[in-house]
This record gives sequence, structure tokens and C-alpha cells, in this order.
Amino acid sequence: MSVERTVTIVPEAGLHARPAAAFVEAVNDHEAEVSAGQPGDDLVQAGSMIAVTSLGVGQGDELRLVADGPDAAAVLDELEDILTTPEEELSA
Amino acid sequence: MADRTLHGTGATPRSGLGTVVWYDPEVTLPDPEDVTVDRDAESEQFAAAVETARAELESERAATADRVGEDEAAVFDAHIQFLEDPTIEDAVETSIADGLPAANAVDDAFGEHIEQFEGMDGRMAERADDLRDVRDRLLRVLTDSERVTLGQVPEGSVVLAERLTPSDTAQLDPDTVAGFATVTGGRTSHAAIFARSLALPAVVGVGDALDDVAEGAEVVVDGDAGTLLVGPDEDEREAAAADTGAAVVEEAVETTDGHHVEVAANVGRPEELSAAADRGADGVGLFRTEFLFLDRESPPSEDEQYEAVREALDTFPDGRVVVRTLDIGGDKRIPYLDLPEEENPFLGERGIRRSLDPDSGLFATQLRALLRAAADGAGELNVMFPLVASVEELESALDAVDSAAADLDDRGVAYERPSLGVMIETPGAVFVADELAARVDFLSIGTNDLTQYVMAADRENERVGDLHDPTYPGVVRAIHRTVEQAHAADAWVGMCGEMAGDPDLTELLVGLGLDELSMSAVTIPDVKTEVSETEYSTASERADDARLAATRSAVQTTIQDT
Repeated sequence: MSVERTVTIVPEAGLHARPAAAFVEAVNDHEAEVSAGQPGDDLVQAGSMIAVTSLGVGQGDELRLVADGPDAAAVLDELEDILTTPEEELSA
Repeated sequence: MADRTLHGTGATPRSGLGTVVWYDPEVTLPDPEDVTVDRDAESEQFAAAVETARAELESERAATADRVGEDEAAVFDAHIQFLEDPTIEDAVETSIADGLPAANAVDDAFGEHIEQFEGMDGRMAERADDLRDVRDRLLRVLTDSERVTLGQVPEGSVVLAERLTPSDTAQLDPDTVAGFATVTGGRTSHAAIFARSLALPAVVGVGDALDDVAEGAEVVVDGDAGTLLVGPDEDEREAAAADTGAAVVEEAVETTDGHHVEVAANVGRPEELSAAADRGADGVGLFRTEFLFLDRESPPSEDEQYEAVREALDTFPDGRVVVRTLDIGGDKRIPYLDLPEEENPFLGERGIRRSLDPDSGLFATQLRALLRAAADGAGELNVMFPLVASVEELESALDAVDSAAADLDDRGVAYERPSLGVMIETPGAVFVADELAARVDFLSIGTNDLTQYVMAADRENERVGDLHDPTYPGVVRAIHRTVEQAHAADAWVGMCGEMAGDPDLTELLVGLGLDELSMSAVTIPDVKTEVSETEYSTASERADDARLAATRSAVQTTIQDT
């Protein structure tokens, strides 16, 4: 069963560089298929750094996340955490 | 004069002299027509190359975190994710299955995305550099190319390159490399930020003219002027060779006869805080708050400002952080604040003038954020008001602090009154320094504006650039008078203009009695070293000569006569 959630991006850099790396790593650490995109737009593969970066999502933008698989709920929790933590508090 | 002078953007106020070593990371790809491809072998090679590249990235990440800082190391996390991107992996495997060698498959797979990012603007375009960096790393492993190791260039090399990626700069050893210059890049490029954090002489964005500089040529990288001098003359070589910089001094410094002088950093963005601490700053002597208001569509909230100041205070738990309240107007403009067009903005509505009216709402928000941070932050918060010209303005600002405290009382929020101070930047403030000092805890002399206003010479107008010099007696006497009046009122007095960061002027400033010198992080070690080699009693005598001197050349004689 797929679950979905829409999150507003907090890190100043948006979904780039460090937040993006943490985001993609979290996706690939879980047993779930995750896709992401701005509400109303096509979704892309969330486990691809290139795809996630090219979304061009900045601070204050909304991101829609859809997850499917045994870890679906857990991965969304972790992704929401990453997307709502200011960059300077994100432990590397 | 040098044979040729190339112009770019200076990344660090430092000069270096050295011999050109060109860095060209390009690898030659096999011609797919010439090779017979064993699909399974190519596929295995690709997987192995990804493993090797990952191991390299992890070790470079660790080395960078150790040598430069966690912020600079974070880019390698992004590279690891690009390296293992499933889109790339799928594309490479498909190409290999179609009969392409692994190296060509990698080149194609990355090439498509590099082009895609290059077509976008700003931050996205920078991702093209990251992808290029990851591609080149993989290709090097796959083609078994000798890596042009930047870590092993001879001592005294000036590295020239089209661009330097984070992986490249991570290998540069600032103790052996004399500097670098690149064809592309701006002040905020990876390479420029890296250079600044290590105080390495660097000029970026020189353009194609750089390509004509020959391997082995002698050059001076002047990161202050933003120039590359090809074939420098004797004077230029000596000047650059002498600009080596001192070792970082962690502890507080005093003169040989035991007079303490605080050496602090000017900070304009939060990411400069850790660099300042690394360069041995005792604290922050000027925390500019404008960054909080720039590049956005509406002013920052009280909480956002509170967080930013907290971060500064927590970076210097045993030190002092002097925050300047919002200083806009003049040449600093912010779209949503609707600044008026003025005939002469430097003599117009700027600094505290705007904060009292029409920006009193913003000012109140900022003061509440500061008072809250003073209670919660680790370091000692000090707050100062810019461009004060009269006692009336100071009194209004102090009233605003009282109102902010009253508001927080009403809200039942914890706060503390920070130490308060006034920036001395106008002749008007110099003449009433005694009255100002009697009402606050400290004064801080902003020499860039003070020189501009005392000498009536526009900072930005090169035609009067010669007059914009703080060693004119008019400015030296204004500084002396300010220090004397502050001390008579039991206030401490600091300096946060560019003059404070010039090691040649340290003895004069210590002699004039400045209690604190604040500067851009790069020159902190040099000034700390100067302070600890100065004898206070001698410096005071020399400073007396300087403040009694009639001409700039007479002032300079007292400085050079060591």
C-alpha cells in the first residue's frame, strides 16, 4: 500500500548539496520505492541524486513524497525530518 | 612592472609568488571502434571502478573534514550520491550491453546530465561541476590514468586550471602550494571559498587569457587586487614573497610588556564563523546582520534572527560577539524595504537613521531577537548602533532597547540586556565621543566610513582614492580623540574597519590605546603576532608622534621607523 505526504522545505539550500545527499541516502537505506515531486508535477525517482537535484526545489517550496513497500511509513518520517531540519543542524 | 597583468576576481586578500604548474585532469577515452568489448568484463570493471571511486571519496571526505571543516567536506556526500545514482548505473549498463566500453558508457551517461544542468541557472549550474568531477574520477579509475596529483606538485607552485573542483582543492596542500588561478569561477565558487578558509592566495574567473600563461612561468597571484602578474619585476616579487602570513595563534595575546589587546573577526555570513574561530579569533568584533535581510522577499522573523545570533554566540562560548544592528542605505540596498532614491546616499538615510524611522518596526524586532539571544547564547553579546552622528540618535536607540525589553516582559519571555555600544564613523560622533561614551559600554571605530567622512572622499571614487587613507593626520587624530574620550568615561574602544586588519598599522593602533582590533579572518594570525611582538610603552610614544604629525608622510615615518 502506498502512503504519501507533502512537506515544506526548511533548509536554506533547498533540496541541494548536503540536504539532498542525506535525502537520497535515506531513501536508499530503506526497503521502499519512493518518488518525489512538486505538487501537481510529475514524480521522479527519489533514490536518484540527479533526479532529486534537478527538481530544483528551494527553501519554502512544497515537496510531495509517495512511498510504497514495507518501510514506507518509516522512510517518510525520516525524509520529513531531513526536509524540515535547518541545514546547520543536519549532522553530516 | 610585470610583463603582463591578467585580471580576475580575488578570492583571498593574500599574495603568493611561484612557478606555474598547469593542472589538466582530462582523460583520453578509448575509441570504441578499436576495441572488442567483453560485455561481462566491462560491466565488472564499471562496478569495481564505482567501488574504488567511493573509497577515494570517503577518504577525501575525512581528510577535508579534518583539514578544512565539516561544511566543506559535505560536498563529498553529494558526490557519493551522484556516483551511485541508479539513473547513471542503468544508462551505463545499457550502453555496455549495446557494446560500448565502460569508460565511453560512463562519459555518455554523465554527459547528458551535465548538459542538462549547465542549461539551468545559478545553484543548478554548479551541480554540473559536481557531476563533471564524479565523471572524471570514474574515468581516471577506468582508464587507469596516472592521476595528476595536485597533492604532489613541487613546493612553490602556482596551480593554473580551467576550474578546480572540490576533489581537486581537497588535495592542495596550503603549506606547499603558493596559490592558484582559474579560468572560471566567482567569489562564491567552491575553489574561492576553499582558498579563503585556508588563506591561500587565489584569483578566480581570469578568463581565457589564462590559457596563454606558459608552464614554468614565474607569476604572482595577488588575491587582494584580483590580478595575476606574469613575469613580475623585482619589487612585485619581493612584495609577494614577503606576504607569507603568520601561524595561527589560538590564545589571547598581549604586548611584550603585558598589555592585552583583543583580536576579533569581522563576520558577514554565518558560514564565516567557524573559519574565524579556526584562524584564532578571540571573538567577533563586527557581526553584520544584513545577510539576514538579503536575497529574500520579506524581512526575517524574530526567531530567525535569534537563531543566527545564537549560532554566533555559541561559536565563541568564552568570547565576545559584537552585533551591529541593521545597516542599510548608502550603497547597501534591499528591494522590499523601498529605499528612497537619494541625490547623495552616503549622506542620506542610512544606518541608525533608518532604524529610528521609517524602519522602527524592523529595529524593534531585531532588538527583541538580540535581547533573547543575550540570555540564551554561550558567549557575551554586545550590540552596537551604526552611523550615529548625535547624542539624540543614541538616546532614541536606547529607548528602543527599553521598549523591546518591556515587550518581552509582557510576553513573559526570558531576555538579558546586552552591553551596548556606538560605532564611531562620523565626525559628529567623534566630537561628542565623551557624551556618547558616558551613555554606553563601548565605542567601535569604523575606519572605512570614518575616513570617507573625515576626508570627504568617496570610498568608491578612484579619483579621490589617494585621500581615502586612514594615515592622514585628520583621521589619526579622530581615532586618538575617540580612544581618549572613551577611556575617560570607562568605556572600552575597538576598531572594525580595514585599518584594523593591516599588520603594518598594528603598532600604531595598539599605541593609540585601542582595546580591540577586529578584521577579516585572514589577517588575524598576522595581527596577533604583531601585537605579541609590540612593546606597549614604545608603541605609545610612537603613537604620540603620529598624532602630533602634521602630514601623512610624517605619520607614515613614525610607522615605518621600526
